[in-house]
Amino acid sequence: MNNNESYKQIVFWAAIIIGIGLVVAGMIWLVSLQANKPTDGSVTIENTIAPDDWVKGNRNAEVILIEYSDFQCPACAYYSPLVNTLSDEFGDRLAFVYRHFPLPKHQNSKPMVYAAEAAGMQEKFWEMHGLIFDGQTKWADEKDVKNIIVGYAESLGLNVEQFVKDLDSVELKKRMDETFQKNDRIGITYTPTFFLNGKRISNPKSYAEFKDIIAKAINENPEKP
Amino acid sequence: MKTPKNLKTLAIIFLALAFVGFLDATYLTTQHYLGAIPPCVLTEGCSAVLTSEWSKVFGLPVALLGAVYYLVLLILVVAYLKTGREKFLLTASFMTALGIISSIWLVVLQFFIIKEICFYCMISATTSTALFVVGLFILVKSRRENQTPKSFNPSQVT
Repeated sequence: MNNNESYKQIVFWAAIIIGIGLVVAGMIWLVSLQANKPTDGSVTIENTIAPDDWVKGNRNAEVILIEYSDFQCPACAYYSPLVNTLSDEFGDRLAFVYRHFPLPKHQNSKPMVYAAEAAGMQEKFWEMHGLIFDGQTKWADEKDVKNIIVGYAESLGLNVEQFVKDLDSVELKKRMDETFQKNDRIGITYTPTFFLNGKRISNPKSYAEFKDIIAKAINENPEKP
Repeated sequence: MKTPKNLKTLAIIFLALAFVGFLDATYLTTQHYLGAIPPCVLTEGCSAVLTSEWSKVFGLPVALLGAVYYLVLLILVVAYLKTGREKFLLTASFMTALGIISSIWLVVLQFFIIKEICFYCMISATTSTALFVVGLFILVKSRRENQTPKSFNPSQVT
């Protein structure tokens, strides 16, 4: 093979490699464009805490983070410890509100909502919330989760008899159905969806990013004297 | 001279399919590495499928393995079109068996185990099935061609 020929070969394959590289780079650019959609205030909700809301932190804080979440959603389980740490870190400056948004495709979401609410009647909502998310992979595919739920109640030291009574009560289901309908009207399409002071934020990619967003909001909303 | 032309057409169809598969798998791979935590969506199952325990093999995302698979096919077909050496094309055609077997497994996973369907994964299943079919045609064509007395040198034709 003469020099000219091998030179042509090299140019040809270099062009192919560059072409493939460009395709990959273009794809990365496209995906990151999608992922970094600006924090959109396009969807907003009323920035108030209802009396029946579950709140962690200070109910009267200037900065309110509201999460619409589904106990069976893996992404929600991922965010659960992050939000806990945020709440610990910002203490009284932040109110974290957890609202139920069980997706219809998740068969065990609603039973877990009832479990958390029944535990809430004995002042252990957040403890149950934590156990449910921690154990998500264990119960997500189970046909019957009642035993698991009762096991959680026992481990939290709840009055199990009362817990089971509340869990099975028609009133709880009726009350939750109203809650689900109310939360459905917000018009969100994915979980978790976070609202910071009433404005939807795109889901932060890391704890550090989440912390920055909250810290910024806190700086913009100085404490009332 | 009709047969090699047909083979070349098949190779170009093969190339196009492998390119579609490559784009699709690259998209999913970049999603995996950049998208961080895909939320759970009301309408479709991509996040469930792509975050499931089956979305990785030996710690590598299946999408990445798919992208590499399509890339190898692409390079082999380009090498064939460039040099006219049939063994490149035949190797690529044999490799499609790998693709269709993986695809069947991944489709079974989606339908019966995860019970969620991921649109982009189904595109990949479609391209690997099509590649397998085109690969079969290529193997049959090339066998027939090799059975007929050779009166030409393929590297001159292509």
